[in-house]
Amino acid sequence: MSGNVLLEVKDLKKDFGDHAVLRGISTRICQGEVVAIIGPSGCGKSTFLRSLNLLEAPTGGSVIFEGNEITAPGTDVNKIRQKIGMVFQQFNLFANLTIEDNITLAPVKLGLMDKEQAQKRAKELLGRVGLPDKADAYPAMLSGGQKQRIAIARSLAMNPDVMLFDEPTSALDPEMVGEVLELMKELAADGMTMVVVTHEMGFAREVATRVMFIDEGVICEENTPREFFEHPGNQRLQEFLSKVL
Amino acid sequence: MQNFIDEFTLNFIEKNRYQYIAEGFINTMIISLFAVLVGIAIGFLVAIIRSSHDKTGHMKAANFICRIYLTVMRGTPTMIQLLIIYYVIFATVNIPKVFVAVVAFGLNSGAYVAEIVRSGIMSVDEGQFEAGRSLGLNYRQTMQFIIMPQAFKNVLPALGNEFIVLLKETSISGYIGLTDLTHGGDIIRGITFSAFMPLIAVALIYLLLVTGLSWCVNKLERRLRVNER
Repeated sequence: MSGNVLLEVKDLKKDFGDHAVLRGISTRICQGEVVAIIGPSGCGKSTFLRSLNLLEAPTGGSVIFEGNEITAPGTDVNKIRQKIGMVFQQFNLFANLTIEDNITLAPVKLGLMDKEQAQKRAKELLGRVGLPDKADAYPAMLSGGQKQRIAIARSLAMNPDVMLFDEPTSALDPEMVGEVLELMKELAADGMTMVVVTHEMGFAREVATRVMFIDEGVICEENTPREFFEHPGNQRLQEFLSKVL
Repeated sequence: MQNFIDEFTLNFIEKNRYQYIAEGFINTMIISLFAVLVGIAIGFLVAIIRSSHDKTGHMKAANFICRIYLTVMRGTPTMIQLLIIYYVIFATVNIPKVFVAVVAFGLNSGAYVAEIVRSGIMSVDEGQFEAGRSLGLNYRQTMQFIIMPQAFKNVLPALGNEFIVLLKETSISGYIGLTDLTHGGDIIRGITFSAFMPLIAVALIYLLLVTGLSWCVNKLERRLRVNER
């Protein structure tokens, strides 16, 4: 681990009623890191990710983002979320808005840019994700891969310090997975700090700087991709890898 | 044929009897229009309070009041509500009957609009809400810019239906002695003792009004659907 600590998670716990999903997760995520989180379904990896921007309210422990404990009562969570981008499995583009409005809505309504600046930025971002001609389209007119690239552009419009990806390619047709992963690879190469819950082992191996295995609500193993995949220490990880690789 | 013309003349032309229908028509339009507006205002307010309560757990007291309102308004006949508002609540004050009718039908319709809109809010995918919040928009902004426009589009057919029901429901206004369209026709019937002409005329006017209303709602629906393809 190197660089500044961007996110620090201390003994994070989350339970839904009697069901403990996260049983004490501690880790640090530094600037420029690309952390891939893998694990069997229902292991709590998505809940962990969603706790980082408080879409899930943790029931214990703390999350510290850029030096501020965001789990502390009285935190302006909206302010924090402006700096933490999130990309969802189901894209969640705003169905009632055009692509351009999807991208400009938050920066404009939150007073970060005026309409004109935001539109200019949207244009740049659409170029960057390879969809410059879709500004006036509606989400329903796009393919899954295009939607996800727009969702990434929408996040980028807020100039986030870190981006969270919740299984960004799991809802895509196989031939569209590549275009989204390619874009994420470019983001990583540009130095974006990313936390990615994924089933794409190839992506974890090639792009991630660290891979984390979560099972039954705890981090069972985390390591560099090379060590992680070639010398898995944890027995449950070995079993998991033998099934997915 | 001559018979038809005679009947028509007797019921509508003679002594300008059409004026009863005209006055009733105007009153029906005024009551319906303002009651719809009151119903929309109350309905959206109640729906937002109720669904915000369900989502966040806040506003317990307001939610409780809304639930009582819904139970009473949906649990008693509109006509009884109209009579209570006229003869009990506004018994001692001298206010126009049209105003009483607007209050009664507006309050009544608001309860139905509230549940329609609430179902619309619930029908919008939770992911839309999460996407808005994860960008840093607050609860109100997310509701205003993302959830409500989609909810409104989803419930437009049901809302149109509710407004049709409301328009026809105003035909009970005669019970507080107000000359609405139905009552206007009845006055003519009482004078001429002919049933066919006034009743059919009134029915045709309602039919035309409802058809026009449906047409407007359909047009709005088509317009809001541009984002679907």
